[in-house]
Order: sequence, then structure tokens, then C-alpha cells
Amino acid sequence: MATETEYVDAGTAVGQQTLSAVVGRAPAVTKGVNYERILKARSEPHNWLTYYGAYDGQRYSPLDQINTSNVNRLTPAWIFQCGSMGMHSGASTYSFEAAPIVVDGVMYVAGWDGWVWALNAGTGQELWRYKHASPYDVSLCCGNVNRGVAVAHGKVFVTTLNAHVVALDAETGKAIWDQVYGDVRAGESATVAPLIVKDMVIVGSSGGEFGVRGHADAFKLETGERVWRCYMVPAPGEPGSDTWPSDGEAWARGGANCWTTPTFDPELNLLYFNTGNPCPDFDGGVREGDNLYTDCVVAVDPDNGQIKAHYQYTPHDVWDYDSTMENILFEMDGKKCSGHFDKNGYFFVLDRTDCSLIRVVPFVDRITWGEIDAKGKVTPKVFPDKEGDPVHFWPGPAGAKEWTHAAYSPKTGLFYCPVQDIGATATRRRREFKESIPYWGAGVNVDLEDIAGSISAFDPATGEEKWRWRNDQPMCASVLATAGDLVFAGAPSGEFRALNASTGELLWEFQCGSGHHSSPSTYTIDGRQFIAVPTGWGAWTEGFLPGMLGAAGGAALIAFALPEK
Amino acid sequence: MPELDKQNGTTLGRLLGRGSVGHAEEESGGRMRATIRIPVDELVFEPRVLVLPHGGDLELELINDDMNTHCAVLPSNGDSQFIWLVNHSRGKAHLNLDGPGYYWYASRTGNDEGRGLTGAIVVSGEVPDEAKLDRPPQPRP
Repeated sequence: MATETEYVDAGTAVGQQTLSAVVGRAPAVTKGVNYERILKARSEPHNWLTYYGAYDGQRYSPLDQINTSNVNRLTPAWIFQCGSMGMHSGASTYSFEAAPIVVDGVMYVAGWDGWVWALNAGTGQELWRYKHASPYDVSLCCGNVNRGVAVAHGKVFVTTLNAHVVALDAETGKAIWDQVYGDVRAGESATVAPLIVKDMVIVGSSGGEFGVRGHADAFKLETGERVWRCYMVPAPGEPGSDTWPSDGEAWARGGANCWTTPTFDPELNLLYFNTGNPCPDFDGGVREGDNLYTDCVVAVDPDNGQIKAHYQYTPHDVWDYDSTMENILFEMDGKKCSGHFDKNGYFFVLDRTDCSLIRVVPFVDRITWGEIDAKGKVTPKVFPDKEGDPVHFWPGPAGAKEWTHAAYSPKTGLFYCPVQDIGATATRRRREFKESIPYWGAGVNVDLEDIAGSISAFDPATGEEKWRWRNDQPMCASVLATAGDLVFAGAPSGEFRALNASTGELLWEFQCGSGHHSSPSTYTIDGRQFIAVPTGWGAWTEGFLPGMLGAAGGAALIAFALPEK
Repeated sequence: MPELDKQNGTTLGRLLGRGSVGHAEEESGGRMRATIRIPVDELVFEPRVLVLPHGGDLELELINDDMNTHCAVLPSNGDSQFIWLVNHSRGKAHLNLDGPGYYWYASRTGNDEGRGLTGAIVVSGEVPDEAKLDRPPQPRP
């Protein structure tokens, strides 16, 4: 061994980004982003200020430079890639699942494994990066993914795989505050894109496959001070607790996680959270009752975290039918409504003032698990209730629509839904609960054959399907609607497509090299419209499309635009 | 099987995750210190598993006693930390790791990371009480 004096001084380790072309600084464009601007997000369509583009969750942009007459000339303007480095959790599952946020020419986007980037939205140049160190052994049901960031007051907010919410300096990417809001030893994690409401950042927990008690949390966006926590499973004695067994601790392991971003009605002052499955997913025998507030829309007062109303889409779920997909806010006949495509295969239109049902119709061809009548009465038909007895049902646990988002165009008055027509077989296998161990209560095989998908357009006034663009495989990515009379949708096989919003006609497509499981957004810079498309096939493919488990992975963010001249 | 824990024994390199365990020292303020060495012709970090008593700041000394050049890409909140370690060199890294779980690090040059120069940092402990679920204590494996 060498003596100490002989050692060469290797210095001090440096951040990896110093060994790259990263600029290190972004313009101070988010300093002026505040609650008032986010309230009116659609009035500045050159930006995509918040997760869904606006609080209403419509994923609709008034931009129309790219339209039905010229979309066939759409071409990539730039591509951003990061790839995977070293040994990280869920190494085979990493992919984009984010919706890029854009403020005055700067894009903020989160990736897998703790990555956050600020990019020049016109060129794709990397301005800064942040990397949260994520434990290799964190419990992840559904891949090493993250659904994006929120921005306000000069900060970028992101959740981490180990259930932190971190505020970054939007100019430098340096952490300003960091709060832990979940217990990784209990199987909790975080993948949700935060939402800014008033002076708070709102987040929710993941971990519904591990027998946790789901919750949403609010923190002061300036300091990280906790404002409230709202549990989505009531403790004994609380309203709704009578929907759980009165003996035992089923409620304490009940699930109902909020792992997608809520929508928000500022006039009603209500957040619409979307809750996940009950636990154990398929073994209802250990949790008799409706199991509130699992599989619900839950209207919450953002000022104190109190539950004001709810509607349960699948009472006593034994099919893993999370209702975490969005509740889109829209107006119809002077009424404040919400539209929701549930995993269970039904499209629900609610009066969002009290979460009462207006209309429910099926939106996928095959539904065998049960039936919901026009008044909302649920009749289960096929479910795994006998130990060791395989039961096949449609839709499978990924649902007739996964978490990926639908869109609503106020211009056409139609909803556009990515549809998954795929079944599964579940065999009940009761197991003992242990913290951090998956708590499903069944073995599950999702179908490899006899599958289909579509982008389907629905009239919320009648429930009528107006058109359907068919795909051989389920459609597993969020759609985007624009005033250019276009609906954009990515396919599992890599094509990114533009459809005519009125007819469903395919107008353009581009092969991105890997499948889509993210949420595209749109913006302009100096009058030029871009469509930002995070791509990459990963996450829990075994759950939503195992027939594509061997498809090419990747994780590229592609910005499309019309040729400049 | 000793032949699995050496270079060019049964395997070409050596299996990951095996070998010695070391513990970081904790200073009075909670900051932690540890030293990791790369011995001659072993292609391992020693200790191969470094255990921290809790999350927080770690000052790590890295010593390459080997006759070849290596490096380390280390996990840390904010950005991964990189250090180049030529033969007989000594450097340090400041890391921040914030919670329970374990983290791999490696020398990325050549295929060091596949041949054995991949180590683990284990962060012990629990999350803060305010982050825990409000429920009775639950059974663990």
C-alpha cells in the first residue's frame, strides 16, 4: 500500500452537470407566476402554466396555428434526451410520464429517478438540472416515473420517489426547501405532479398496492410548512367509517391514494381529488362494505383539507379500479359539471356542486365485471371471491382508461378519451398484511390477445359516442385537444398522431421510436406553436399492456412545430 | 464460494453486493464521515456496504490504492457527484442522502461497475414522525 505522502490529490467530487453542456441558469420567468395567473391560465395560451393546462383539467389549448389544414407538415423541432445512468430503482421501468410546464420560453419537466430539468422551450437546450437521490429499494408498484412539476413564485415544485416534496429555485435548480410527506418503510412513495392553489402546493401519496392509508397534503409554497393532511380513508368514528369493518384494522390499510393531480374550481373553492383502489386490491373479504373514499372523486376545501362531498365510482372494488384519473370540469346547460372516464368502463357526468350523478354511460365495448344502470346503481357480476378460483373480467386492472388523461374541447363540446379494451384474470390468494410488502390478495394475468383500443369522442349532453379512431392496441397516453380542431394522441407502438377533432380522421403521424405513456402539452414562442411530447415505454407495462412488454424503451422529449418557412 | 468473490474466479469479475460492511462515524452535530478504499487488484470498494445511522450530510474520503485508474459516481441530492481517481490518489466527496433505503454508486470507467466496483450506501432509520401514517403500528416482515 502506498504511503499517505505518495497519494495524488484527487480533489473534491463535482456535480455531474458541471461536466456537461448544461447552462446552469434559467431566465427568471416564473417569478411572476402566481395564483391569479394560474386562475387565468387559458388566457395566456403561449404558456402551459399548470399540470392540465388550467385548473379545469380540460387539457385544451386555444392555440390554432397548427390546425387541420397544415398539421400534415408538422415536424420535429428539437429532441431532449437524458437516458438512464447507473443502477437505479425500477431499472426496467423508467420512462417519462410527465406533462411539460412552459413559462415564457422555458420548459420545466420531471423525469424518472428524481430528475427535473429546465429547458429552452424553443431549442431544447438544457438550462439546469436537479437530481434527487432516490433509494434503490423504494417500493414502486408501477415504475420509476413522475408526472411532472408545478411552478410559481420563482420556484419549481416536484415530488420524489421517496415521498418528499421539494421546492427548487426556478433560476438555478437548487433546492430551497424539502419536506417528507410519506413513509417509505410503510410502502409509500410519490409520483404526483403538484398543484399550486392560493399560497399552497398540493400533493398526494402513492402506495395503494402496499396497504397504506391514502392522503393528500398541502404545504405553504414559500416555506414548506405543512397546512393540512386529508386522509382518504376515515378512521373509526369519522364520517364514512361505517363503510369499513367495525373490527380490525382494514381501514388502516385501506388505500385510496391520490397519485394524480386534482382539478380545482375556484368559485366553489373545491379541489376534486381522484382516489385509488382499496387494499387489498382483489380480496374484498377482509374489508366488507363500500370502503369510502376509495375509487371516488372527493371534493375537498383547499383552505382546511376537509371533505365536502364525494361520489364513489366503484363501491367495494375488487377489480383494482382506481378512480385516480381526472375529473374534468366543464359547463353544460348552465350547470357546473365534471366528466370522468373510470377504469370500470363507465363515463360519469356529475353535478360538481355536490358530486351528484347526472349521467353514466359505458365508453368501452366489453364490460363484464358488473353493470351500472342509468341511476348509478352498481351490480357486481364477476369477481374473484373464491380462493384459488381464476376469474376473467373486462376491463382488466389497468382499466378501460388508465390514469392518462382525457381532454375536453369547449369548441366542439366533446370529450376525447384514450380507451383500453383489455381484460385480465385474477385468482384470489389471501395473504397476511406486512408493511412494505405488496398487498393485492390475488395473482393477476392481464390478457395478451384479443385486445383493442381507440380514441373515442363523447357528447356529455347525451353520452353518445360521436366518433372512434380504432387502434389494434389499447391507447395508454393522455390526449391533447386544441382550437386547431385537433386531438393529439400517442400510441404504444410509438406513433404520435393528430386526429380531426370533429370526425376522428387521422391527419398526421410520426414514429417517435418508443411508446407513449405521458401527457403532451402545447405553447408558443415568438408566435410559433410547439407540441411537446414526452415519450418512452416503461412503467407497469405488465399491467396495462403486457403484449408490449418487450417493446423498445426510451425516454425522449420531442417538440414538434411547423417549418419556420 | 470464495471463487465467486474474486476477479476471474468462477465469474469474470465479481458478484455485486457481497463483502465487507462498514459504518460511518457520526460527529456531534449529526454530520457523518467515512472512508472508502479501492485495494490493489480487488476491483471493489472497501467497505463494500457503508451504513449510515440516519439520513443527512456525509463527508466521504475516497482512496484509490489500486494500480489502475478508477472513478466514482456517487448519489447526492441536487446532483450526482463525480470524482476521478487515478492510481494512488485520494479525494473526497460531500454527499446528502435524505432517508431510509440504500443507494448504489460505482466507477463508470471501463466496465468497473459490472466487474465489482459498485458499492452501496445504506441509510438507516425512519422517516420523521410527521410524515408517518396516522394508524396503529403495523406488522413488518
